[in-house]
Amino acid sequence: MLTLPELRQRLTEDGILICLNGPFSHSIIEELGNAVKKYLENEELQKTAMMDVFSVYIEATQNVRNYASRPDLDDAARVQAGQGIVVISREGDHHVVRCGNLVRLEDGKALSERLEALRGLDKAALKALYKEHLRRELPPGARGAGLGLVEMARKASAPLEYRLTPAQEGFLLFSLRVTI
Amino acid sequence: MDNLHIVPTGSSPLVDFDAETGLLRLSGESYPENALEFFRPILAWISAFLERDTRPLTLELRLTYMNTSSIKSLMDILDDLEDAHQGGREVRLHWYCDEDNGRALEMAEEFREDLTLPFQIIPEKAAP
Repeated sequence: MLTLPELRQRLTEDGILICLNGPFSHSIIEELGNAVKKYLENEELQKTAMMDVFSVYIEATQNVRNYASRPDLDDAARVQAGQGIVVISREGDHHVVRCGNLVRLEDGKALSERLEALRGLDKAALKALYKEHLRRELPPGARGAGLGLVEMARKASAPLEYRLTPAQEGFLLFSLRVTI
Repeated sequence: MDNLHIVPTGSSPLVDFDAETGLLRLSGESYPENALEFFRPILAWISAFLERDTRPLTLELRLTYMNTSSIKSLMDILDDLEDAHQGGREVRLHWYCDEDNGRALEMAEEFREDLTLPFQIIPEKAAP
């Protein structure tokens, strides 16, 4: 068990500004988002950089909410999927947003395929993909526009990084890392 | 037609649509829990206004931040306005941006790329 001084040292060494580990409700996302804005204002970041970090934070956390709200998840899966972890840190000149949540085993493949496809695209191709997705018709009952990952890829200064690691029975931990 | 008025929250915009003057205002933050659902009545109101009426429509936007689902909903609204414009209806879009926020300006310009309706981008000092 890490002591508080050890935890504090670790967080400081890793440049971690904000960390939330727990259930992601809309109001928690909003409240933490306000804290994120205040922190970044204090850093005297350019407004553009601040907006980029904020929007990646919102897209990442709302993706977790939207996944957990999918009608095809059973109650047990829903509880697991709604737990997340989000970390915002500073690494040199860049801010990094990392977000993790549990996904069902069967959803892992589609997710990694989407991410691999995005990782291979340059700025122009990402813009084209974004515009194409912006115009496509959404299935009835869609909770989100399906643009979050592309948007994060556009705001990032490097290809999106991700990991899918085994978690409890039937689930993988999906971790996303966005460098801005 | 009734006016449409929705009070803003920390994550959803002020909606102030006046059926008499044809002035439609949207301002504030937009990242509600379910943006598609939030914008549905807004889209419906605009459709109805365009259908039942012939008077000009002016859409004034002062949106400080939009999540991607809000952007998608806005795109649907602007597509309707573009169709109306191409059909000869008088529609205007005034997009106000925080002059210090390059991203907001970029987004407005990106939207304008694909539209022919009268579309003004107006940089403004942000409210303190």
